[in-house]
Amino acid sequence: MFRQLKARFGAPVAMAIAGILGIWLILMVTLPQLQMIDYSLRPSLLPAEIGGPKDGWTLINYVTLFNNDIHLSIFFKTLWSSVLVTSLTLLVSYPLAYYLAKTATPGQAALCLLLLIIPFWINEILRTFSWFILLAFRGPLNEILLTLGLIERPIRFLNGDTGVLVGMVYAYILFMVFPLYNAIESLDGNQIRAARDLGAGSLRTHWRIVIPHAKPGIATGCIMTFMLAAGSYAVPALLGSPGSRWFTQIIYNWFFEGGDWNQGAAYAFLLLILCIGFMALVMRLFKVGLADIAK
Amino acid sequence: MSAQRFFDWGLRLYIGLFFVYLFLPLAIMAVATFNDSRFPTITPWNGTTLKWFAELWADGRMWAALGNSLLVAGGVLCLAVPIGVASALFLTTVESRAKPFVYGLILSPLLTPGVIIGISTLIFWREFGVSGGTFLTVLGQATFISAYVMLMVMARLQRFDRTLERAALDLGATPWQAFRRVLLPFLKPAILSAAVIAFLQSFENYNTSLFVVGYDTTLTVYIASKVRTGLTPAVNALGLVLIVITILIAVVYELKRRRELKPKGV
Amino acid sequence: MDSSVTLDRVVMRFGDFTAIEPTSLEIRSGEFFSFLGPSGCGKTTLLNIISGFLTPSEGDVRIGDASMRGVAVNHRPTAMIFQNLALFPLMSVYQNIEFGLEVRGVDRTTRRRKADELLDLVALGGSGDKPVSALSGGQKQRVAIARALAVEPRVLLLDEPLSALDLKLRQHMRNELKAIQRKTGITFIYITHDQGEALAMSDRVAVMSAGRIQQVADPETLYHRPKTPFVATFVGENNRLPGRVVECHAGLAVLEVPGLGRLTGRCESELSPGQPAALFVRPEHLSPSSAEEETEAPRLEVRIETVSFEGAWRMLEARLVATGDTLRILAGQGEGSALQPGQTASFGYAPDKAIVMADDGSPMLDAETGEIQEAATRPDRESPHVSSA
Repeated sequence: MFRQLKARFGAPVAMAIAGILGIWLILMVTLPQLQMIDYSLRPSLLPAEIGGPKDGWTLINYVTLFNNDIHLSIFFKTLWSSVLVTSLTLLVSYPLAYYLAKTATPGQAALCLLLLIIPFWINEILRTFSWFILLAFRGPLNEILLTLGLIERPIRFLNGDTGVLVGMVYAYILFMVFPLYNAIESLDGNQIRAARDLGAGSLRTHWRIVIPHAKPGIATGCIMTFMLAAGSYAVPALLGSPGSRWFTQIIYNWFFEGGDWNQGAAYAFLLLILCIGFMALVMRLFKVGLADIAK
Repeated sequence: MSAQRFFDWGLRLYIGLFFVYLFLPLAIMAVATFNDSRFPTITPWNGTTLKWFAELWADGRMWAALGNSLLVAGGVLCLAVPIGVASALFLTTVESRAKPFVYGLILSPLLTPGVIIGISTLIFWREFGVSGGTFLTVLGQATFISAYVMLMVMARLQRFDRTLERAALDLGATPWQAFRRVLLPFLKPAILSAAVIAFLQSFENYNTSLFVVGYDTTLTVYIASKVRTGLTPAVNALGLVLIVITILIAVVYELKRRRELKPKGV
Repeated sequence: MDSSVTLDRVVMRFGDFTAIEPTSLEIRSGEFFSFLGPSGCGKTTLLNIISGFLTPSEGDVRIGDASMRGVAVNHRPTAMIFQNLALFPLMSVYQNIEFGLEVRGVDRTTRRRKADELLDLVALGGSGDKPVSALSGGQKQRVAIARALAVEPRVLLLDEPLSALDLKLRQHMRNELKAIQRKTGITFIYITHDQGEALAMSDRVAVMSAGRIQQVADPETLYHRPKTPFVATFVGENNRLPGRVVECHAGLAVLEVPGLGRLTGRCESELSPGQPAALFVRPEHLSPSSAEEETEAPRLEVRIETVSFEGAWRMLEARLVATGDTLRILAGQGEGSALQPGQTASFGYAPDKAIVMADDGSPMLDAETGEIQEAATRPDRESPHVSSA
């Protein structure tokens, strides 16, 4: 590998490339993850006990999760809600991506893309905070609904999972729209016209032509959205209530309130496994490879 | 035909509603800044005021957090840009059986939740006696922002005609001169774009920073803590200022990017 | 200065595939030399070996007296003009031309003076500050030439540089390249699949096929005295009539061709009776013969299938009545101009214009299935004018 680099760039640049890449992948990407796994497999000990007889590999930290009904239910709720967020985001994004890629004129598409990007240049915290204001008990949404006579009493949007779901769809939609848009855009418009011409209705055209073509985009979008949702901390912290806690919040508590890093590492690793599992599932389901994802 | 029409109008209505959904919350947050109310809201409207800007201005911790955010972002730039460029060069140069593995490793930070990157960074550096703070924040953020830089540089690198490098060598240039005079100028726009994106990613990062900031709070972490404790419309004022700045950067960046894209179509 | 290029038993292998069979060749100093062959014949590989982009698996390249073994691309006294020109898109015309001098540390004024001289040479004076993207195809071509000449190479390597130009410009640039070569006295090594280009410009041409040089000769010799069946069919058009040798002496061979009887043609090398061989006769050497003529002259009975009018001549596509094989005939003004599709006619040739060559098993002869036709006729169809070359 180094020979090819050297042939192209000369020895100094090749060494710089190899060195920089090596430091990043080893010191920043791989070793910290391995260290985290190692941590998760050791009991939480007092400093004096480290290296002592109690120090050794154990699964105790993983067992904790399965013995704690609350944590376990939060884990599965996080999984389930993240799947829900992913599906909702896909539903909301698909028509938009299709419009941008195939229906809109180039000018319209450019404007829409710019409009889409702007909110996502803005801090995730601020975007979530704006929903916090909108959904507040005495906030504008309740006021409007009351004024319109649609409800008689204000609704506590922020008291369950509703706010979290809405906020997450809002926060991560761009990660779905862009892969979808890229995938649909590469579809030859004539294929759609041909399908129409052959008498296929709109829905059938989407189901048989557009969606199969957009599969890599759908897969990428779903993987990214799921990962962001499952790993979200800000949205549940801001829009959720104590009753709708997220698994990331439990992890945070182990680190900074419980002070048990080993336990936290185990939980964090489980979250990582969850994301990897989802990714593997989606990649198998949609028959796409890693190369399709990074586009 | 009418079904098709119905479909098209439905789609347009949907797009309209979508953009309302996208911008309404931000607009409300912005407007709430000017409401003379202890709590950030627009209902009820208690009269217009600018006092929350004044309060924000006087907030020393906010300024400290801002300074720290800029410091972190600068540090991230210094790490992520070279790393991203190096990995893009590596991936477009090397053909080997190990390449898919390296590629997977390079992409993995993008597919890992931010909190986990923060956690693993925190745990790893504890071994060396380094605890949460600016240094770890820079490292944690750079771990995944580098991968974003790689993707952006890679996109341009794939359009590079390698005959140009051969031509440079053939004309007597050393590999270094060919790299410096031919490849690097070609990559410059992508590197600059990637730097802007990397800066913003760092500035806005919450999930990773949350675990590694220690006492060196960044602005984003500070805002989040303000929202959860001691919420006043001063947060809105800060949000509004940040929104205006980001929109300005975004628009300038987009316009510049488009102008650069245009001549290539010719 | 001696700017000859010597290939000394050069072999190039990529894994199991041998791209260049053992090849030795001397290209003379100051010569315009072309490698001609279909794509995949190894000519680009040879060029890359000479320029230093590839290191040969065996053998050596010498420029003048100096071995190029271990000499990197950027230290060789060669300069290449690439197929896509490879002008640096972000640099101006001046910067492009001066690049080679700049990386050698030549000072600004000298560089600029040299660049201006070269721009004058390629008739682009005053365009130095233009961005490359503002140039037309022909102008880019000239900048590429100027850029390569700026480093004062002893050998200029040209990798099909004219293929992107349209026909008229291509013909014009041929003359120009030839003129520049004469003016500078640099050795030009040109590779192309277009025989018209090779024949029109070169002092000598090497015809290549499947990693092997088939023949090295000046254009006239190549055309009139091809050494191998491949050269006979690849350079210019040729009709091929396969059969078996009956006898061969005094430079004339008699061939028994099934269905056509005995046909006579020149032979350059010894052929033994019974050996499989073929007679090659060019379309322009076939002329109508009448039944009254002496019976000794070979006569070919054909049925005309198509007649294409090409201005100064007509190309007749005909089928041999006896075998059904295709025969192409070039008919000038007057003679045979009355022939119509469907008619039968009789054609003859002067035996000294036809060549008999042994079936040497070269790739040309293996591919009777149509691949051979394809390779042999393609350049002609692209540029019909070359037949006159």
